[in-house]
Amino acid sequence: MTELPFESIVGAWVATGLTLLIFSFLYKDNPLFKLAEHLYVGVSVGYVIVKTYDTVIVHLVVKPIVENGEFALLIPVAIGMLMLTRYVPKAAWMSRYAFAFIVGMGAGLAIPRTVSSFILKQVEDTIRPLLSVTGPDSLTFSMNLLNPASHLNAIIILLGVSSVLFYFFFSIEHSGAGKAVARTGILFLMISFGAGFGYTVMARMSLLIGRLTDLIEFSDASYGRPTVWLSLLTIGALFLLARRGRAQPPDAH
Amino acid sequence: MIFLRRQLPLLITLVTGLLFAAQYYVPHPASEQMLTSATKWLQIVGGFALILGVTSLFHQHAVKIRRQEAGWGYSLVLYVGMLGTIAVGLWANGKESVEGTMTAFGWIYNYMMVPLQGTMFAILAFFIASAAYRSFRAKSREAAVLLVAAVIVMMGRVPLGEYLIPLSGDVSSWILNVLNSSVRRAILIGVSLGAVALSFKIIFGVERSYLGGGKE
Amino acid sequence: MAAVQGGQRIFSPVLVAGPSPDWFNWNQLNNLIIALSFGGLVFYSISYAKRHEIFLRRIPGLDAVDEAIGRATELGKPILYLTGAHDLHDPSTIAAAVILGKVAKRAALYETELLVPHREPITMAVCQEITKQAYLEAGKPDLFKEDANFFITADQFSYTAAVDGIMLRKKPAANFFMGAYFAESLLLTETGASTGAIQIAGTDSDHQLPFFVTTCDYTLIGEELYAASAYLSKEPVQIGTLRGQDIGKAVVLSAIGIGIVLATVGAVTGAQWPQLFLDLLRDLK
Repeated sequence: MTELPFESIVGAWVATGLTLLIFSFLYKDNPLFKLAEHLYVGVSVGYVIVKTYDTVIVHLVVKPIVENGEFALLIPVAIGMLMLTRYVPKAAWMSRYAFAFIVGMGAGLAIPRTVSSFILKQVEDTIRPLLSVTGPDSLTFSMNLLNPASHLNAIIILLGVSSVLFYFFFSIEHSGAGKAVARTGILFLMISFGAGFGYTVMARMSLLIGRLTDLIEFSDASYGRPTVWLSLLTIGALFLLARRGRAQPPDAH
Repeated sequence: MIFLRRQLPLLITLVTGLLFAAQYYVPHPASEQMLTSATKWLQIVGGFALILGVTSLFHQHAVKIRRQEAGWGYSLVLYVGMLGTIAVGLWANGKESVEGTMTAFGWIYNYMMVPLQGTMFAILAFFIASAAYRSFRAKSREAAVLLVAAVIVMMGRVPLGEYLIPLSGDVSSWILNVLNSSVRRAILIGVSLGAVALSFKIIFGVERSYLGGGKE
Repeated sequence: MAAVQGGQRIFSPVLVAGPSPDWFNWNQLNNLIIALSFGGLVFYSISYAKRHEIFLRRIPGLDAVDEAIGRATELGKPILYLTGAHDLHDPSTIAAAVILGKVAKRAALYETELLVPHREPITMAVCQEITKQAYLEAGKPDLFKEDANFFITADQFSYTAAVDGIMLRKKPAANFFMGAYFAESLLLTETGASTGAIQIAGTDSDHQLPFFVTTCDYTLIGEELYAASAYLSKEPVQIGTLRGQDIGKAVVLSAIGIGIVLATVGAVTGAQWPQLFLDLLRDLK
């Protein structure tokens, strides 16, 4: 068996330790989870800062300006700087230029793209003929529920789309016939939410299995069995903390 | 002064809004070029904005440490994590690996970030179960419909489920492909109308609360 | 003239790619017409609403906003408000920020602490402005705290861990989740539910709706997120917009109805003309 490199062994201990600290959250909020949470926030912010420095400052600003003379890039740099005027109360209003640019651009980009993919595309997909011609003088209405493109399913889809859209009408009271349509809409919504829920369960389980697989791998002797030792340590620490918590009145924070 | 503080930002929103809405309809290479540059610009502006965020974070925890508030030690841990990662990251030039060898920055990513992220994500497996239980206890008609649909779809996606509830595979794909997609369509259409209406109001300065400050 | 030309070009895609680059994509003419007419409709409805009273049906989730803030005040606990995972590019974030203004104004009136942890610095800065304005409007500028809006991190799950920590330690009595969300939604709402807080969510992220619906007391589904500010402010501008959206939905429903009839006629008779109309309702690139 080949010897594992030192950094992998240390890595396995750190990764296992952090995994267990986060899992301790399932028992309850405790100092071990708090430790992992604060470390995680710190490391992630540090990571984001380094990545932003590398991609934005180095690769999007400095290099193109120095190597290709793309001086137009100084404009976004200036807009970015404007945002920092928020630290100077008298000049803070200048940061609005940056917000105006970002919000304006977002709104402008959103309009045609939303109309295209979320209005036209959805309307296009809902419009289906309710009959088709299969031979000379013979009209067919396909009832096959298992084929999403069947005529019966086209009607069900139409029913779903219209009742749910009706549910979203704000300036019409949901009473009388409207109440029945809105209730159908709610029924469709609930079935759809249930489906979304059920669909996700297995994916979440596989994530947990993935995490446990790592823990099992790290219980191997070649790593020095971090899973075993650190699990014992975590459980012991939680036990001690619980005892101390009982002995002392709970703290406020 | 009022023009500079109030009208000019609204004008900037109007012009950028119209420009980028128009961009979509123009297939000319110049228009594509504009979109690419603008995306880059946004990334740059966003990079500077991070300074605002980090200052806010630094400030919150500095206050805790200075006042020695309850749990200030954790703030110290956060600082150590952040500064340590920055130091290691800059040392490695922001690269996780150089010529196939993992750098110290890559080590932090692989042995700290990834397991932390993976574990938080994995906790969802427990939470999805408790959420299902919560909805089971709700005892309303809506919750019942939701649960039944959830069980059928869940069963339909595993071989054992189809063995336990025959036809669950077919019913599940019917729910997903027909019922679910019709609802998704209606939700998307509704949301789009809301989003487009809001975007129009922003561009034409009707919705301006994001700029804050009343008349100053 | 242009419309006819557009219609013809749809049928002859070869013509679209000319030797010199075009300045207008005629395939997207229907998109432009829809966008412009809907925009016009919204502004017309706004001006109509300024002159007329418009009925709005009840949305229980929005009636509950006052109740939630009231309960936080009674218990002397803070209100937690999240603006979602996206930046200001996304209209849903703006909607969330606008609603924050309404919630902050009530929080100011009741003198209840507001906590708004952020994932995106620009959204944080904008929300600080909005909150400040809300406190001014409520006549409580001295109660405004710049750090009510604070940044945690841009990373999805460490942000989630930190917000979960806030929920468990500060025990806010009301949690608001507005805007766009990803897988973190359930981690946030399930933790919030375990603390006994009143939870009100509003999102257009359709994949996360099942989790909000099962764990929150009230969920604003999709378009209701965009309707919330109208309900909370009762301003004619906002109510008029909703009326415009309703007419928009009616138009979409009618278009679908007419489209289905035409498509069926086309399928049965084999005629080509219905397709001409149907192309106007297609997303052509």
